[in-house]
Amino acid sequence: MLQYFNPKQQDFDKDYGTPASVSENLITLEIDGVSITVPEGTSVLRAAAEADINIPKLCASDNLEAFGSCRICAVEIEGRRGTPASCTTPAEAGMKVTTQNKRLGKLRRNIMELYISDHPLDCLTCPANGNCELQDVAGEVGLREVRYGFSGENHLQAEKDHSNPYFSFDPSKCIVCSRCVRACSEVQGTFALTIDGRGFDSKVSPGQNQDFLDSECVSCGACVQACPTSTLMEKSVIEIGQPEHSVVTTCAYCGVGCQFKAEMKGSEVIRMVPYKGGQANHGHSCVKGRFAFGYATHEDRITKPMIRDSIDQPWQEVSWDEALSFAASKLRGIQDKYGRESIGGITSSRCTNEETYLVQKLIRAAFGNNNTDTCARVCHSPTGYGLKTTLGESAGTQTFDSVMHADAIMVIGANPTDAHPVFGSLLKKRLRQGAKLIVADPRRIDLVKSPHVETNHHLTLRPGSNVAFINAMAHVIMDEGLEDQAFIAERCETEAFNAWRNFISEKRHSPENTESITGIPAAELRSAARIYANAKNAAIYYGLGVTEHSQGSSMVMGIANLALATGNIGREGVGVNPLRGQNNVQGSCDMGSFPHELPGYQHVSDDIVRARFESAWGVTLDNEPGLRIPNMFDAALDGTYKGMYCQGEDIAQSDPNTNHVQAALRSLECLVVQDIFLNETAKFAHVFLPGSSFLEKDGTFTNAERRINRVRKVMPPLAGLQDWEATQALSNALGYPMNYSHPSEIMDEIAQLAPTFSNVSYERLDQLGSIQWPCNELAPDGTPTMHEESFPIGKGHFAITEYVATEERSTRKYPLLLTTGRILSQYNVGAQTRRTENQIWHDDDVLELHPQDAEDRGINNGDWVGIASRAGETVMRAKLSGRMQPGVVYTTFHHPHSGANVVTTDNSDWATNCPEYKVTAVQAVKVTEPSDWQQRYREFNQKQLGYLDKARLNQESVVTGK
Amino acid sequence: MANHQLTSLIRMANQIAANNTHIGDETAEAEMIANHLTKFWARSMKQQIAEYLNQGGDELSPIARKAIGIMSR
Repeated sequence: MLQYFNPKQQDFDKDYGTPASVSENLITLEIDGVSITVPEGTSVLRAAAEADINIPKLCASDNLEAFGSCRICAVEIEGRRGTPASCTTPAEAGMKVTTQNKRLGKLRRNIMELYISDHPLDCLTCPANGNCELQDVAGEVGLREVRYGFSGENHLQAEKDHSNPYFSFDPSKCIVCSRCVRACSEVQGTFALTIDGRGFDSKVSPGQNQDFLDSECVSCGACVQACPTSTLMEKSVIEIGQPEHSVVTTCAYCGVGCQFKAEMKGSEVIRMVPYKGGQANHGHSCVKGRFAFGYATHEDRITKPMIRDSIDQPWQEVSWDEALSFAASKLRGIQDKYGRESIGGITSSRCTNEETYLVQKLIRAAFGNNNTDTCARVCHSPTGYGLKTTLGESAGTQTFDSVMHADAIMVIGANPTDAHPVFGSLLKKRLRQGAKLIVADPRRIDLVKSPHVETNHHLTLRPGSNVAFINAMAHVIMDEGLEDQAFIAERCETEAFNAWRNFISEKRHSPENTESITGIPAAELRSAARIYANAKNAAIYYGLGVTEHSQGSSMVMGIANLALATGNIGREGVGVNPLRGQNNVQGSCDMGSFPHELPGYQHVSDDIVRARFESAWGVTLDNEPGLRIPNMFDAALDGTYKGMYCQGEDIAQSDPNTNHVQAALRSLECLVVQDIFLNETAKFAHVFLPGSSFLEKDGTFTNAERRINRVRKVMPPLAGLQDWEATQALSNALGYPMNYSHPSEIMDEIAQLAPTFSNVSYERLDQLGSIQWPCNELAPDGTPTMHEESFPIGKGHFAITEYVATEERSTRKYPLLLTTGRILSQYNVGAQTRRTENQIWHDDDVLELHPQDAEDRGINNGDWVGIASRAGETVMRAKLSGRMQPGVVYTTFHHPHSGANVVTTDNSDWATNCPEYKVTAVQAVKVTEPSDWQQRYREFNQKQLGYLDKARLNQESVVTGK
Repeated sequence: MANHQLTSLIRMANQIAANNTHIGDETAEAEMIANHLTKFWARSMKQQIAEYLNQGGDELSPIARKAIGIMSR
């Protein structure tokens, strides 16, 4: 007897026709004489497919609910009349099914004949040739003739739509199976597509008969993937042809960590197809991961190491050896002159775990100090601090899939449909199933109201009032007796809870008393608190709107307090879930990038821990924390910090108070930048080491659910070395030997030194697909849900979170509050996405402001607006937007010339120095020309690009002997 | 030359203090703040702020002064 119910045994390259059933009740039926046992609720089509009995199908796909429109999958069932569609017929115990006989064969041929009578017969020149389900099914059913001819009315001349930069829509090839429409609705949740018209006139319509580009389409690619013909087809395939091999790897954009099949021709990526076996994305994708990979081979890629003595000199292209010995002698020279602590480095949250680990190891072992930090400093460092203090581990508690068990979902300061789109789609799916939603955000983000999703409460809190808000939520829970007393008694420290209860019960925290601070009506907040506390399972998802504040850490602790008080920790459907920005922010933190923590969050002052590292690394380690990024800048300006190694991060653009950062960078005697492009930081560098994109390396990324995913090399590194190889070579040049021959050896060392990684290896990753840490002897297959029975610190710790107003507040001079963020099509500093067709959606940063604020200032849509804060001034185009509340303005930082961070200040989180990007007091006025900073930027940028051109020209003349 | 580091350190110390003065026991609060500085600040940062306190530490809040005193014991 065949039993097929373990999803882990699935063949992810096979389409089983309908989704797997999760029922635990098993039933047995007979298909074509084979006895098959499947979970109740499985369709006959899927049951057959699991036994490798492959019934032809067209409108069915296993990521979509059964639809039953094509009728190709018709079968006969003993004792039933007619020929039911096997996709919409649930398998039943004792059922006897026949999938192939003369009658069914004729029926299928007749259906195919009708389809093909209105389909172009240009198979040999069709882009789908070699990968066309329609063609395959025509073959399977044995279609040999089309008796109807092709002269009647048809759709063969239907107009094509090439408006989307990545895919074309050719309606003449469409069989109206609705797979694209259903993918857009069920999988992506955007509902941009519909079937317009009836009968013969039926056609797929984006929006209201618009072009794809003009419709609500978010270009996630789900429709292209769903299409069984070449109606929706990647332009790259149309241009180049079908790929010939593929490699499963992990996306290098956001912290969702989607897996893709990189489909290749030789060493060229033809398309990225979301991998069904990806345990974070289950075959879904967004516009960035799916389509925006062209940057990897962009002409701006720098593939030769370069050096120069001063940033006012042209670059000189040199060999790797020359660049590395130049860097090593400069850095050692600085240490000889200014001391051991005068240099440091920044690890990359875009690089792999293994690369990050090596950079911090180089700093601690070869530089001999702990001056290592990472860009998590400027995004989620408060998450690390806050969750470690309250729950005992610096990470989110759940899987993404956990959201499908949540009954109430609170999204605070996060915009998942833009910044974590694949998770956003899953979240929307759960909301469509009826989960309640609370959004706490100053802006009306898409989640607040989108097709078939409407928030129960949009709490439009004022920027800077987060802690007052979360305290009020907790106050209501305690005030109204909504806490989970059993959970608190069993799982939390009693003394800390009692202290917290006394604190939070004070009347000053009531929503009525904090309404004037938060701007949230008390009754609405009370209602939201009741929804959260009374739900069977309530989950909190949060983003940088929580962390990037002067009280970021307090807010994270406040969120954890709320989850502890209501017992929403330690099972599916609940938890505290930070949505991480960059692909490997979680990993870079895990790998010991912070100045106070060795890999695995082990404090540098712990003698036992340090002794283990010292023995493995063969050096003595400093027992004091090193400098954080902002402290490095201050020390640079004071002349005590003189050299830096910066891998894969663009601090000159991403960090706040650009004038301050750039002055600090200018004061360095040696800045070594390793990147794939000459980014803004590299314009201040003395050594440029060409980096490798995620397509050019082996390694692992760790996503926001602690999931370690494999990154696999699909093409050789353009500059000859993977990033870990360059770091290793630099270390060797500095006289500290490293001799790894493959990143798997680095992971083995990590497993040896970090207790939460002790059972992780490449072999296990290949076996399991991915692993969520902690993964050790206690949890050999990893830990999907944290804190199920106890916390790493024993009991949950309630932390006192007093609201302390930020010093950054609106004044007469700066009456507006600026908050910054991201949009769907661009990523972080834009270095990658700006070098793709994604530019079509957002080719410049704009200032969004409420129409009333605009009117008060005489600003119209599209006007140049000067935005000034106490830190600096920049100029952008205005975009009037009802998303904003009056008094709050918004922009993004995806384009360097827009200078969003010229305006942001050096205010930061009290515990971690995470910058307060989300609150800057500004004034906005109509202007006619770019700011002084922008004019200086333009000149500096042109000069630096000129220095790059000179390096390339010199090299050409050397090569050609001119 | 302006002392960028010290200006930041004073501000940071005061901010850490302001966020940890609500448990009602000043000594416990100062211990907590001192512990935070010990655990997260670099050697050079601790030295500078301790030196500043020795010179009077005028711009430090009372609780920050007490904490830095404990830290440099």
